[in-house]
Amino acid sequence: MAKRNKFSFMFAVVFIVLALVTAACSSNSNNTVNNGSKNNAEGATDKPQKNVTLTYSIWDKIQQPAMEAIAKEFTAENPNIKIKVEVIPWGDYWTKMSAAAPAGTLPDVFWMHGGQFVKYATGNFLEPITSKVQAGEIDLNNYAADLATIYTLNGENYGVPKDFDTIGLAYNKELFDQANIPYPDDTWDYAKLAEVAKQLSQPEKGIYGFGAKLDTQTGYWNDMLANGGSILSADLSKSGYDDPASIEALKARYQMILDGASPTHQQMTDTEATEMFKSGRLAMIFDGSWRISDIDASEIIKGKWDWAKLPTGKSKRGNIINGLGNVMSAKGKNKEESWLFLKFLGSQKAAEITAEMGAAIPAFNGTQDAWLTSRPHLNLKVFTEQVADAIPYPSGSKSYPVWFAKEPEIMSQAWGGAITVEDAAKKVAEMMNQAIAETK
Amino acid sequence: MNSRSRYVWAYFMIAPTLIGTLVFWGWPVLQSILLGFQQSENFGLVNHWVGFANYEKLFRDVEFWQNLRNTLYYVALFVPVTLMLSTIFAVLLNTKIKGLSIYRVIFFLPQVTMPAAAAMVWVVLFAQDFGLINHILGTRVAWLSNPNYAMFVLVIVGLWGAIGLNMLLILAGLQGIPKSLYEAADIDGAQRFNKFRYITIPMLTPTLFFTSIILLIGATQIFDSIFLIIGKTNVALPSVRSLVYAYYQNSFVYFNPNYGAAIINVLLLINLVLTGIQFAFQKKWVVYD
Repeated sequence: MAKRNKFSFMFAVVFIVLALVTAACSSNSNNTVNNGSKNNAEGATDKPQKNVTLTYSIWDKIQQPAMEAIAKEFTAENPNIKIKVEVIPWGDYWTKMSAAAPAGTLPDVFWMHGGQFVKYATGNFLEPITSKVQAGEIDLNNYAADLATIYTLNGENYGVPKDFDTIGLAYNKELFDQANIPYPDDTWDYAKLAEVAKQLSQPEKGIYGFGAKLDTQTGYWNDMLANGGSILSADLSKSGYDDPASIEALKARYQMILDGASPTHQQMTDTEATEMFKSGRLAMIFDGSWRISDIDASEIIKGKWDWAKLPTGKSKRGNIINGLGNVMSAKGKNKEESWLFLKFLGSQKAAEITAEMGAAIPAFNGTQDAWLTSRPHLNLKVFTEQVADAIPYPSGSKSYPVWFAKEPEIMSQAWGGAITVEDAAKKVAEMMNQAIAETK
Repeated sequence: MNSRSRYVWAYFMIAPTLIGTLVFWGWPVLQSILLGFQQSENFGLVNHWVGFANYEKLFRDVEFWQNLRNTLYYVALFVPVTLMLSTIFAVLLNTKIKGLSIYRVIFFLPQVTMPAAAAMVWVVLFAQDFGLINHILGTRVAWLSNPNYAMFVLVIVGLWGAIGLNMLLILAGLQGIPKSLYEAADIDGAQRFNKFRYITIPMLTPTLFFTSIILLIGATQIFDSIFLIIGKTNVALPSVRSLVYAYYQNSFVYFNPNYGAAIINVLLLINLVLTGIQFAFQKKWVVYD
């Protein structure tokens, strides 16, 4: 009797706990399932009026208002089509997409990145728009800097260019004024950057001259290019990380942490470098044009900061241009409506909304000027002027998603001081070359 | 009722759980085992049979052995301490003190807190510059990025999360011990410690056995605190990276589900062996009255 009591009590407790836990879990998952099926059901059952709700997935929360404004404008023109803008943070975006693709549940329309495009296009998960282009429904020549070619594979078009981005040097005017140092300009080189960063640093106050962060596109890739190094060889077949010029550039950046001119890697992991800049604790930082509205929203440095071009290196001014595209799923239930929305996303009207809200530099030719004046207090033309200096984002291969995911794990060992920068760079090169060989 | 129809009825009654287990556990496990012997392409829509190639690669991978060591190290630190502290707290909370239910709720709260939210709080507490822990200790230790300390942080966070549930299980075990045993001991003039040592502990061993199995299996699967608190660009990651973390990275970040499956299948085997050992040894210490 005693034994039975003991066990029945114990198991009662276990089951109650498990029931609570599973109830909590399953109610969450039920919600998402319900939402999903509800959308599909609306599309499938309400045929007569053809009221549909399309899902538009994006990864940048900062651009959500602009994307919703575009969606609203589209629904005003097409009252039967509603758009649900869904933000999935960059960190989870491709994990979710790679699960959704084979399951046939990709969002109707979604943002595509050059680095991921090849995988999705070769798997036939994206709806080709070649016939629409040939029928003249959309003119890909409307978009700047050959951006449409990023989303072209084997002669098929898949994506409508959305925007492009380049990198700039953000600086805090107040910190420069206090130290009586002139603001960064076109004449700056990397030596000047390092020198001024040291002068502006007051580590005891938690203020640093430069955020020498562990980052690729808004970090050392620009340094490597400026110094005559490379990220990948021109034919995408070999890593450029073990190029002596690349290693030299990486070392120079890490040296700024050692010099106390930059916060440590751990400090920048605890608090993102851009956030430090926003709170006035960093005098200078490289950042992408997509962060403008985010930084400008900071009350602390409002009106006290601006942009300059990146410094020049031994060989040139480095920069990277990347263009996002909008694509549609090949397995969507409402492809006709999706195409209408995709076409609208590529229209001048959508580009103008993007520009006026300062969300991103629109790809549509002629609308960039509206973007330049979207924030008159900032020197935004550094971003469009540096297009000439920039190389395309080094994606476009099947191996990119693999090596790009592994790269920060190796480089963080150097940035955290566990191995030398040179060793890390060589390890990255080896890893990249292996990834390229394995995905041939 | 003959025995056959009794079996039919029995299976009928457990069918909901059985079907759920087979569909949501059995099938994925089988899939994982198959994936480990395959090479997948195009998001898993095309799979080639490659035999033991993934395992050959795995056993030559230095990182895998490091991850295995990390996992076992965590288990060795976490499981005994959790069992000990849970038992102590359960015994303390099994008395008649004021506000008993409040204490029980407080200890159980971590169990119903969102792990991600809790992790964020821990990150702030352990932060090097403005963290409360460094502030109180008057130190400037990089708890989260020093390879020597990161594991201890994970163990502390794990303890915080695990003690509540295990304490409750042990508490249930304690309350199932018949009062008559203690009354008999009182008549014999036993002291408090002796009652604990010779009545409470032996009577509690079935519960402790149960909790230790659950804890061990849970501990070998440590992932979320590494993912949320340490993070992928942390210099301390190699010294805390667990097998499940490596599984996640390979399957969902490097898009190599086959290598990930190989890792997780090794862990499955390890868990089977460890649980088997525990069952083999239960005769030596578990008392069933």
